[in-house]
Amino acid sequence: MKRRTINLRTLLLNNSTIVLFIVLFVYFGIQSPRFLSLESITNIVKQASFTGIIAVGMTFVLLTAGIDLSVGSNMYLSSVVAGLLMRQLGIGVVEGLLVAVAVGTLYGAFNAFVIVRLKIIPFMVTLSTLVIGRGLGTAFTQSQQVDFPQSMLSFGQIQLVGIPMPIIVFALVIAAAWVILTRTQFGRQIYAVGNDPEAAKKAGIRTNWVIARVYIISGFCAGLAGFILISQLGRLDRSFAEGREFDAIAAAVLGGTSLFGGVGNVFGAVLGALLIQMVQLGLVFNNVNLYLQPMIKGVIIFLAIFFDSLRDANMKKLKRRFIRPVETQTPS
Amino acid sequence: MARTRHDPVSTTIQRDERPGAAEDPSGPLLKSISPKRRDQRTPSQAVGAFFRRALLSENFILYLTIIFFVVASIFFTTLSAPRNITNQLLNMWPLLAIAIGQTFVLILGGIDLSQGATMAITSTIGGLVMSTALDASTYDKSPLWGTLISESGGILGQDPNGWAVAVVVMLLLGLLIGWLNGTMITRFNLAPFMVTLVSSTIFAAFALWLTQSRNVANLPEPFLLLGNGDIISIFLGPKLNPDIARRDVLPLITYPALISLGLAVLAHFLLTRTSFGRQMYSVGTNRRASTISGVPSQRVIIMVYMFSGFCAAVASILYSARLGIGQPSLGSGNILLDVIGAAVIGGTSLFGGKGTVKGTLFGVAFFVLLLNILNAMQLSPFIIDAVKGGIILIAALLDITRTRILNRGA
Amino acid sequence: MTRSTILTIEHISKAFFGVPAVRDVSIDVKEGEILGLIGQNGAGKSTLMNLVGGVVHPDAGSMTFRGKPYAPRRPADANDAGIGFIHQELNLFTNMTIAENVFISGFPRTGFGPFKFIDRAAMKARTRELLDQVGLDTPPDFQIERMSPGERQLVEIAKALYMDASLIIFDEPTTSLTARETEQLFNIMLRLREQGKSMIYISHILNDVLRLADSIAVMRDGQLVTQEARDAFDTRRMISLMVGRSIEQLYPTRTSAPTTTPLLELKGISAAGIVEKVNLTVHRGELVGLFGLMGSGRTELARMIFGLDRTEQGEIRVAGEALKGSSARDSIRSKIAFVTENRREEGLLMNIAIADNVTLVALPEFARTALQILDAGAMREAAREASQALQLKAADISVQPAKSLSGGNQQKVVIAKWLLSQPEVFIMDEPTRGIDVGAKYEIYAIMDRLAAAGSGVLFISSELEELMGTCDRILVMSQGEIVAQFAREAFSDEAILRAAFREHAPLHPHSGETEQSS
Repeated sequence: MKRRTINLRTLLLNNSTIVLFIVLFVYFGIQSPRFLSLESITNIVKQASFTGIIAVGMTFVLLTAGIDLSVGSNMYLSSVVAGLLMRQLGIGVVEGLLVAVAVGTLYGAFNAFVIVRLKIIPFMVTLSTLVIGRGLGTAFTQSQQVDFPQSMLSFGQIQLVGIPMPIIVFALVIAAAWVILTRTQFGRQIYAVGNDPEAAKKAGIRTNWVIARVYIISGFCAGLAGFILISQLGRLDRSFAEGREFDAIAAAVLGGTSLFGGVGNVFGAVLGALLIQMVQLGLVFNNVNLYLQPMIKGVIIFLAIFFDSLRDANMKKLKRRFIRPVETQTPS
Repeated sequence: MARTRHDPVSTTIQRDERPGAAEDPSGPLLKSISPKRRDQRTPSQAVGAFFRRALLSENFILYLTIIFFVVASIFFTTLSAPRNITNQLLNMWPLLAIAIGQTFVLILGGIDLSQGATMAITSTIGGLVMSTALDASTYDKSPLWGTLISESGGILGQDPNGWAVAVVVMLLLGLLIGWLNGTMITRFNLAPFMVTLVSSTIFAAFALWLTQSRNVANLPEPFLLLGNGDIISIFLGPKLNPDIARRDVLPLITYPALISLGLAVLAHFLLTRTSFGRQMYSVGTNRRASTISGVPSQRVIIMVYMFSGFCAAVASILYSARLGIGQPSLGSGNILLDVIGAAVIGGTSLFGGKGTVKGTLFGVAFFVLLLNILNAMQLSPFIIDAVKGGIILIAALLDITRTRILNRGA
Repeated sequence: MTRSTILTIEHISKAFFGVPAVRDVSIDVKEGEILGLIGQNGAGKSTLMNLVGGVVHPDAGSMTFRGKPYAPRRPADANDAGIGFIHQELNLFTNMTIAENVFISGFPRTGFGPFKFIDRAAMKARTRELLDQVGLDTPPDFQIERMSPGERQLVEIAKALYMDASLIIFDEPTTSLTARETEQLFNIMLRLREQGKSMIYISHILNDVLRLADSIAVMRDGQLVTQEARDAFDTRRMISLMVGRSIEQLYPTRTSAPTTTPLLELKGISAAGIVEKVNLTVHRGELVGLFGLMGSGRTELARMIFGLDRTEQGEIRVAGEALKGSSARDSIRSKIAFVTENRREEGLLMNIAIADNVTLVALPEFARTALQILDAGAMREAAREASQALQLKAADISVQPAKSLSGGNQQKVVIAKWLLSQPEVFIMDEPTRGIDVGAKYEIYAIMDRLAAAGSGVLFISSELEELMGTCDRILVMSQGEIVAQFAREAFSDEAILRAAFREHAPLHPHSGETEQSS
């Protein structure tokens, strides 16, 4: 009797984010049945894809016990550069996409360089480049809104067998990231570096190169996500993607990625991004006061990390090394 | 031991047998080697030694600030104008208050991302309750309308000493938020980054909700004095007529200066002279060992986050009084960078166990001066942001270089 | 039989900051032999091994490995040449599987161009073979996290085998192993030797070295004292060569006799799955040894007495008063001191000055007024006195960080820290682990002085010899129970070990105390 409750508890805690997701999803659905329509679900996934893509990039960084606070600014700067080039030089959407991704990757490479070569801790580096990136972008645009050509919006509306383009890109990113993390030498070495950087060095892993690459990947994802997001909006202003890094970190952490490195996977980040976006849309569907929405979102993120800590405590208890056999407990 | 012959001190440094320990000679080796070098140095080495000493000095940032100021004054004469100096000092005080709180948290090895939101919520609530008059058409959508606030202002608005109560309320609010953060971090073992990120989101949104994004005006006169009131002022220049215009008077000693410096002195005292300060460093260095040694680690952590919230509330009071409004968007910009930047420039480590109030004071001064110079160069505010980020990177690099030199032992 | 030499070290020297760590050392390792390398901490063993491993580079001298000049620049060079290292702290990634740990620096891959993926089948198959070689039947995709220290050690060896190491260096490999795991490790080492592998075995446990080694090299003060065949050594000779003089006594004589006043009393302490009905008394002025193998529940019991872990039943009394609280602070108030087995993580604030470490426990006693202002003068004085009393060797205790001290002196700082709060009960968990012979003697002498001053000491150790040399009484713990106790007159290593291994029925199950204490 008691055994079963313990197992149920463990089961619930081990899947707390999924449980929270389902509970909230059903709740919003009951409150407003339209929320459960295919259209609305597609919308959730589509909206989640932007945060999701950067959350996947963030997962790489968090796995090495690093952090990338600059992804929001990166999304902004890379889109600004792409937008300005598209407008001034009239380059096409595909070229624009390449430019955005290239700028994002370079941005990440700059972070990587400072972190790896100058040995400044990632928090300070990316906090600084957060400010630098947005400052540069705003200086480029003279703080004006950048309007993209109409072709950008039509690019954003592309569908493949009825699936919107952002979702397809998101799926590709997830697949690629999953392959890299689980099936390549580089991916496994990321986990090793995050678990014990000293031991990784001793094992002959080029830790600097591993760390550098995760920031480059994060930058790549930011450039990509920024451009895809713009293709839905058609324009960008000064505050575009501001604070997105926190959504990405929250998404990754909600999916079970540890801020201390070595623990986490791609699907966790995807689940986290979907949860955050589902809550956001659910609140809109239920006509919750605009001012209350961020508060409720905050509370739900808190609940998720809180359950996660309960799970940790529970795991610790279960993993406790026993010295002698525990006498079978009599059911009370 | 044969080693003794070379150097009397080295008997104490029996090398640890761990692999890699040999490359980690800290502290005493430095002492044992430097005297030897001093004997046989050439003039160029002497100059090098001088710079090295300056670089390693704990007042390094102060020297740097002064040099920076003198040099920059040559190019931008406005910089050394008395009016500019007093203005810059007024900019500095609130930043100092909040940076001190963050320094405490960083010494603990934590981080407080919620300081900005704490400023917002205290400014808003403080402003609302002490406001002397509120316009119904603007505020009637506020959830507090009809209870704590009405057309005759906040609940404390008509009381002549209401502002003082409001200040206490603001400080208590800061303490409360800090307590919440600290409790969540210690009781449930949550990462400080996530806890303060979440509380930042919630409280910032809460502040906006309370006034539906509106600023709160009509704050009482005595409160405003806290932001820029002066106690002793001076007038420089020829006395042309008996009435000196207010704007020509330079505030020498101001309320915000007293408040901020008072807070700094208190913080310095706590850190260096009390058992609480010792316990902070010890928890920041090794929490497990501290707990076993009887340090009440949980309590220390909670109190430090409370102190951080308190400092944010003080900064909020200074800003609100200076701006004359309760502002729900207070602290929302790049304040985190400014504060952490100033602390790091002042030598605080993000890994915990290291940092001083003095260092942070110098760091804040350096930072304010830097912004002043950038403004004097008439750069666009966006470029200033970019440069600011770069400077902080350089400061962090400098700190790493210093530590490296210290560890190399020369 | 004459074996060919696999590794020759010739006249190698290395100094750090002008202080020589290794001076003109020449050592040979023969093909298919185990070389025991012994010496006190600071004798240069680790530096020598770091030279071999390419972690540091020699100032003078040369090495030859398998007949070729050998000058590693990086640790990877050593691996490539065929030298494997098994360190005291294992270099395994706990978040990954056995197979991944074996292959982490180079996975078998399939694919072409930039699309190279890990060949998981090949990886698992190869790991399976390696695990069979070291006698581990765990599946290759088992997480390291879920393995015991002994099993992890075997994974390390499998890793070295995978690297095709012909020389494997073991640096204190048994520190965290249980007796059974140690035994298994030794068997595998002997089997590897039969296969023609060479090994260097570094350990403080001289009996183990005698048992395994074919030849033994002794180092002292950075120099090689001698390298001879195993038969030329016994424990006494090894110690006198390590110390540089013959040691008459390994243990100080007890200077006082225990009283009969109970000081620390445990009555029926139980916690499910950990300890069961533990009764134990330490009298004033008594030095009680608590012997047990790794994993017998000694440390867990110590943590419970100190209030760090919960007990479910039973009562703890100090000087007749029941211990009420359940935190370290309460225990400190009840005058208990706890020297933990893990100096680095639980004992010291490594980056902080020695004096600040010393005053940490007694901090409340230096705080004056409601503001808790510290009396800096009194603190300085107290720290100085305590470090003098313990003959702490440090240049300037107010600036020098704890991490700059040798292991023995670090342990003295931990003891000094507790002395300042004037405790009556000392719980010392493996206080001499990882410190050298000379420093050990000093720690024993300190314990004797504490007992002579009327304190009670509970000395936990897995080195039976030191308990027999120092204690008034020895309790034996096994599987969370006190299974036997021996008065000083009845000390016999055979009987004690038998009790610890539980080959015998427990002598006095559940209540070992009363009968033998006469």
